[in-house]
Amino acid sequence: MVGMTAAPGQQTDRELVERVASGDRAAVRLLFMRHHARIYRFVARQTGSDMMADDVANEVFLELWRQAPSFEGRSEVSTWLLGIARFKALSMLRKRKEVAIDEDAAAAVPDTADTPEVALMKDDKAAALRRMVNALPEEHRTVIDLAYYHAKSVTEIGEILSIPVATVKTRMFYARRKLGEALQAAGFERGWP
Amino acid sequence: MSVEKNPSEAMSQRDELEAMLPFYLNGTLDGADLAAVEDWLSNDPAAIAALEEAEAEFSVTTASNEALRPAADALSRFSRALDAEAGPPRTASLPSSLSRLWSRFVAMPAGVAWAAAAVALALVLVQAAVGPGGRGGPVDLAGTERADLPFVLVTFKPQATLADVATFLADQGATIVSGPAPGGMFKIGIPATTDADYERIVGLIAAQPFADTVTIGRRPENGG
Repeated sequence: MVGMTAAPGQQTDRELVERVASGDRAAVRLLFMRHHARIYRFVARQTGSDMMADDVANEVFLELWRQAPSFEGRSEVSTWLLGIARFKALSMLRKRKEVAIDEDAAAAVPDTADTPEVALMKDDKAAALRRMVNALPEEHRTVIDLAYYHAKSVTEIGEILSIPVATVKTRMFYARRKLGEALQAAGFERGWP
Repeated sequence: MSVEKNPSEAMSQRDELEAMLPFYLNGTLDGADLAAVEDWLSNDPAAIAALEEAEAEFSVTTASNEALRPAADALSRFSRALDAEAGPPRTASLPSSLSRLWSRFVAMPAGVAWAAAAVALALVLVQAAVGPGGRGGPVDLAGTERADLPFVLVTFKPQATLADVATFLADQGATIVSGPAPGGMFKIGIPATTDADYERIVGLIAAQPFADTVTIGRRPENGG
C-alpha cells in the first residue's frame, strides 16, 4: 500500500456522540445502525418480548439524542447504551406488571428454544447447551449474554446492571455451574464440577 | 488474584477462575486476573477442559442472540420518532433509499447466502459528497452514479452479515453502487481523490472478515 494521507479506520462511537451532541441526526442514525441490533437483542432476552424490545431499543436511541450533550465518555458508548436499555426495560416491565396488560405479548415472542420433539431429534450437546443457556434465570442469563455476546468486562457488566463487581463474578460462577449441572443431568460430560 | 468477596456467596479460588473464563475468552481480562487465569491454564490440565466448556457456551450464546431479528422497519420508525422529537430536518440526511436498504438488511433471514440475498436489493446508491476521507459529515446519498467515481469490485463471504457490511461502508463513506454481477460481484464506490486514499480504503475493505475477493476497478482520475 502506498503511504497514507489520512488516518485509517472509522469514526469512533465517541466522535459520533459528539456529533449527535451538536445536533447531527446523521450521526445518531449511524450509531443506530451500529448498535441497534445488539440493544434490541439485549432487551428481547431480558423481557422475552419482541414488541417491548422494539419499543425500548427505539427509546434508547432517542435518549441518546437527548443525553448526548451530557455524555462524559467515562464508559464505552455501547456500555452506556446497554445501561440505558437495562433501565428502560426494567421500567417498562414494572409498568406492565402494574397494569397487567397483554399477557399474550409474551406468548407471541418467538421462542428460540426448540420444542421437546425437535430437541429430542437433535439433542447433541450444543443444542442442549443452547436450551440450557436460554432457560437460565434472567439475572444469570444476562451476565452470560453481556460477557459472551456483548463482550463486556466484569466492570462494565457491573455498570450496566448497577451491581458490584463481586456480584457479577458470583452470578457468572453460578450461571456456569448451573449449566454444568444441567448438562450432567442430561447425560453430557462436563469438564468441571 | 484481586477478587472482591460477597460474604454470603464466597467462592473458592477455583470458582473465581471458572467465573473469569468468559472474560478471558472475550478479551476483557487484564492485570492480576489475566495472569491468574493464564497461570491456571498453563499448569492445570482440567483448566483446558473448562476453557472448552466456556467456548461452547460462547458459541451457543452468540447463536441464541443472533437468532433474534429486529423489525424490518426499525430505522424508519426511529427516524420518524427522531424527527417528531427534534423537528423537521435542517438538511436532507438519510434518504429513504438507505432506510429501505436497512429494512431489507434486517429483514433477511440469517444464513441466507449473500449474493442471493443481495439480488433483491438492486442497489443503486452513490454517496453524493465524496470528498477525501468521505467521513465526518452527514450521510447524504443521491440516487445517481457519478461518472468518474472510483470503485472496486468485491465479493462477500457467505457468512457476511448485511448489517456489518452496511455499517462498515457507511463509516468509510463507501457505497454499494450496483450488483451483484455474475459471480456475486458488487461494485463499491470509493470516496477517494488520490491513489493513496483509494488504496487505503480498498485495503481496509480487503481486511474485513466479510470480504472474500477484492478486484481493483477505477482509480481516482487525478491519481496522486
